[in-house]
Amino acid sequence: MTDLKLASILEGRRSQPHQLIEVLQDVQERYGYVSEEAMRGVSRELGVPLTEVYGVASFYKAFSLKPRGKNIITVCTGTACHVRGSKMILNQATGQLGVSPGEMTKDGLFTIEHVNCIGACALGPVVTENGSCHHHMNPGMMRKLIESLGDRSPEDFSHG
Amino acid sequence: MVQKVTINIDGMSIRAPKGTSVLDAALEYGICIPHLCHVPYLSDIGACRLCIVEHVVNGRAKITTSCTLLVEEGMVILSNTEKVRKLRRNIAELIVAEAPNSRAIQDIAIRCGVKEVRYPFRNNDCILCGRCVQVCTGRYGVKAIGFVGRGKDRRVETPFNLHSDLCRNCGACIDVCPMTVVPCDGPMKVGEERLCGKCEPKMAFAEETPGFCVWCDLGEGFQCERYTLGVRNQAYP
Repeated sequence: MTDLKLASILEGRRSQPHQLIEVLQDVQERYGYVSEEAMRGVSRELGVPLTEVYGVASFYKAFSLKPRGKNIITVCTGTACHVRGSKMILNQATGQLGVSPGEMTKDGLFTIEHVNCIGACALGPVVTENGSCHHHMNPGMMRKLIESLGDRSPEDFSHG
Repeated sequence: MVQKVTINIDGMSIRAPKGTSVLDAALEYGICIPHLCHVPYLSDIGACRLCIVEHVVNGRAKITTSCTLLVEEGMVILSNTEKVRKLRRNIAELIVAEAPNSRAIQDIAIRCGVKEVRYPFRNNDCILCGRCVQVCTGRYGVKAIGFVGRGKDRRVETPFNLHSDLCRNCGACIDVCPMTVVPCDGPMKVGEERLCGKCEPKMAFAEETPGFCVWCDLGEGFQCERYTLGVRNQAYP
């Protein structure tokens, strides 16, 4: 199954080293992260040394090397959000789920991340959840957001 | 026939084959430009920033690394101005603070005129000069190791930190690593790091004739190209 997915991503791009980043982006989108197995496959099929694939994948923050949860919650901790208390929101999320930032919960439902700025400072503190943006957040709203996401049945998620 | 261009380094006219770097041309003529990440015959990545020079274009001087700057007809280079020396000293100071536990690093710091280190010592065992990566990819074309991560997490590693199938255990990466040259007084313990500075008296002659290679002993320590090539020429005349 895994190999089929990877094969469809690599279709028409084999032996083209310059396609490396595009392929890795597709892998990231399809699997939610870039696995060691996927990197080995990409390296073999594109004709790029594994060191280079690993170097590129670890260089860009857009690529995650660890599995990520179904729900990715990103807390902005940029200057504007920070002064409006994004730290408390992050603490609420990590405390509620029992993980540290960048980690996935045991049930595979959540990953909490923090970024330096998402460019919506006027709306701060900002939290993005699976790509949609929540503005003027506070710890209470964060708690409700996580609760509502946790209640949804896993079939509702189109990821992965 | 090799096409040659004329460039001007510190007021001296030099003929150099097209396609060589300013650093190589200068070293050939005995102009001292301290360098660390440069390995003879391999492509340069300009990682250590020690070989900086002033490149004068239309009366404006631009600071750039000479190892990645290719010679061009009519180029004007200043390799030993007060500005360059100050910047180079500061770079060497940062490098020696990062990884003082090597004779090569200590030597280059002395050669660049570092008298005191104003930064906290870290006792790291890598300065990310990339010599190992260059020798692995360039001379052997293997790419068993490479740079991984970015910013403060940047490091040299094999993929997934496992032994790479491509590695042939040739040991070239260890041979060129400046951190494998032990300080004269033995390895420094954590908390005892310092600027060695014992070779400072040797610098007197070099200071009198700034900018010229005087075959200082220090060059041997930091694997200066003059030494590595000189030794090779003696071995294979």
